[in-house]
Amino acid sequence: MTFDQRLAAIRAGMIEHELDAIVAIHDGAHFIETPNPVLVLSGFKSLGPAAVVLPRDGEASLIVTPAWDADRAAECCPTLRVIAADDVANALTSARDHGSLRGARIGIAGLAFTRWDIAGRLDQVLLPAGSADGIVFDAAAAKTVEEVAHAREATRIAELGYARLVEIARPGMSEDALALELKWYTKTLGAEDNFLLLCAGPRNAAVAPSNGRTMQRGDILVAEITPSYRGQLAQICRTATLGPASADLKHKYDLLVRAMNAGIGAAHPGAPMAAVCRAINTVLEAEGYGEYCHPPHIRRRGHGLGFGSIRPGDVSLDNDTVLTEGMVFMIHPNQHLPETGYLLCGEPVLLTAHGAEPLTQRRSALVEIGL
Amino acid sequence: MLAMNPTLLIGPADWDPARFPREEFATRAAAFWRANPSATGAIVYGDRVNHAELAYLTNFTPKLEAALALIPRQGSPQLLVGGGANMLPAAKPLTLVEDLRPLRHVGKTVAQWAREHGGDAPVLIGSAFMPYALHQEFAAALASKIGDKTAELRRLMGRKSARELAVLREACATLDAAIAAMRASQAAGAGVTATILAGEQVANRAGAQDIRTLFSLDGGRTLRPFETLVERTVDPLQVYVAVRRLGYWTEGLAVLAASPHPCAQRAGTVLREAVSRMQADARCGEIARGIAQADLALHPVTARIAGNAIGLALEEPPLIAAGCEERIEPGGVYSLRVGLSDERGHAIVSAMVAVRDRGNEVLWSSPEAAR
Repeated sequence: MTFDQRLAAIRAGMIEHELDAIVAIHDGAHFIETPNPVLVLSGFKSLGPAAVVLPRDGEASLIVTPAWDADRAAECCPTLRVIAADDVANALTSARDHGSLRGARIGIAGLAFTRWDIAGRLDQVLLPAGSADGIVFDAAAAKTVEEVAHAREATRIAELGYARLVEIARPGMSEDALALELKWYTKTLGAEDNFLLLCAGPRNAAVAPSNGRTMQRGDILVAEITPSYRGQLAQICRTATLGPASADLKHKYDLLVRAMNAGIGAAHPGAPMAAVCRAINTVLEAEGYGEYCHPPHIRRRGHGLGFGSIRPGDVSLDNDTVLTEGMVFMIHPNQHLPETGYLLCGEPVLLTAHGAEPLTQRRSALVEIGL
Repeated sequence: MLAMNPTLLIGPADWDPARFPREEFATRAAAFWRANPSATGAIVYGDRVNHAELAYLTNFTPKLEAALALIPRQGSPQLLVGGGANMLPAAKPLTLVEDLRPLRHVGKTVAQWAREHGGDAPVLIGSAFMPYALHQEFAAALASKIGDKTAELRRLMGRKSARELAVLREACATLDAAIAAMRASQAAGAGVTATILAGEQVANRAGAQDIRTLFSLDGGRTLRPFETLVERTVDPLQVYVAVRRLGYWTEGLAVLAASPHPCAQRAGTVLREAVSRMQADARCGEIARGIAQADLALHPVTARIAGNAIGLALEEPPLIAAGCEERIEPGGVYSLRVGLSDERGHAIVSAMVAVRDRGNEVLWSSPEAAR
């Protein structure tokens, strides 16, 4: 898919929903779990609150705060009219009163995720006819050629980051120090951000943000390494031990790898996302872990990858989204097992005509860090 | 000043009772209750981007998902942490609050807590930062309108305690070391990315909780965040560096140049004069006007806002901006910025200033403004 094809699909959605314009809003709080419609429509990752005004016909505008960031926006988005603003809601009010939104039937995207001091005003000022989240994010469910290339690069950086983790993680080091060093290292490789969850312990309850805990010999170290390259995230989920791993841990990790491979095998165009989750669960259920395939032990077996659209959504039993070519998402069995605690195992995949292509060069395997 | 918000906060944020003992937080809470005599409790919201108020009362930095503190006037507070029960062990070291619970069923939970702690009289803090959807849930759950007292709490936060000042001084030392490392790296012929990352690494290794940077590729005319690798050298290189330590932010702007930079020196002279006017009870608008009257072309980055209070948030009120009637408070710490931009060049310099009852203390300044 190209960006122009995506835009055409969004405009077709506007016609179908009888919208004259879409206002996409984002408050500048970038997060892996929340989609960013401004990034989808412009490719611009903003410092502060920003908006895109997309009329059904004609030129789209990008409203940027702080105003001094407008040059960067114009450089990033040469086909958009860039408006420098000190307050995004005021700029949109002006567009409603005097500009492209005057008298328009407006759909708004991103409102639910936007902070209240902006969203509350927009809700009153724009009087949107409804949410345009579906129109914008569904059209971005398949990544553009450029986004796929960025996901590949982000994956390459993630794998190098993991190699660095294996190289430097040692007992006596704090989780925070390791996480900071990895974030810095992946930046040296070109990642502008990194959703890096990392923690360690003899038995982890979950993967969580690092804290000041000092790592110990025998710890199981779990890491979701998620660099962003030019606004596109990719993730690898990995588990390593500080010192030798027990035979039981190795055995259980192999089970997760098998489950992941089953999930990857089940992902193909035309299949519902739920089938991927079911394939993973089937492997675990066959080994007697059926009760651990549901909350509170596990909520999902993967997810979409933003920062733009996070479609196709979670790899979960209740997600009936039909998979199509060009989708990029995570498949990760990441599982709490009673014998080992929480383990991470997962790859980012690109859905092609032939199935799910892992973007990684090396699939997840338990690593024993020699001390 | 605004820099790019990361998707996850990585870095040491554990509560350090030796630096900020329980009495410090008790004093803060007592001052808030004195200022709000009818309040029976406080509901405090914080997330990755906006959590200064939450940190002020609980020391908690929400690294991943949002959090709510429920603080009764009498009795023990609760901290509701996003991400589920499995996130609680990782959150525990970050706060002095002992009662941690997962943040779920927000409306019902908050309404019940409000009933149990004095009915209709709790106050809200940070409600403007809530995502639209969460705010709607609050509004539906709390039958009566609850007043937002964020501004009142911020007034108390403005006067820094001795402990806070000590940490801010340490943060300024880290800032200085980071900029010195950048200067040395640039002088040694490093490219832009390597220069910036040299400073970031020094800050990380000095124990910084966070570091954010902006830089210029066009001689200081514009600032930009890290987007991708820039291997070429740039001289002069305008940089912005924000360093956070034990929760407290400091920031600085510097021009890295092989030879004297006349524009930076002119800006330094203006800044020095502005710093001398940073006295208790001075009007913020007057300080901004004094800078504007220097008869030099102001830089777009600093033309509208020349500074602000700083502490647990990078930008705290009041703003040092034209027309601002608020006064500089004794006990406050401020970031003051002067940028000049004309056909001869561009430069932004800055200072961190602690204002006392009489006089002030410069905690850090760009070398061009140093006496």
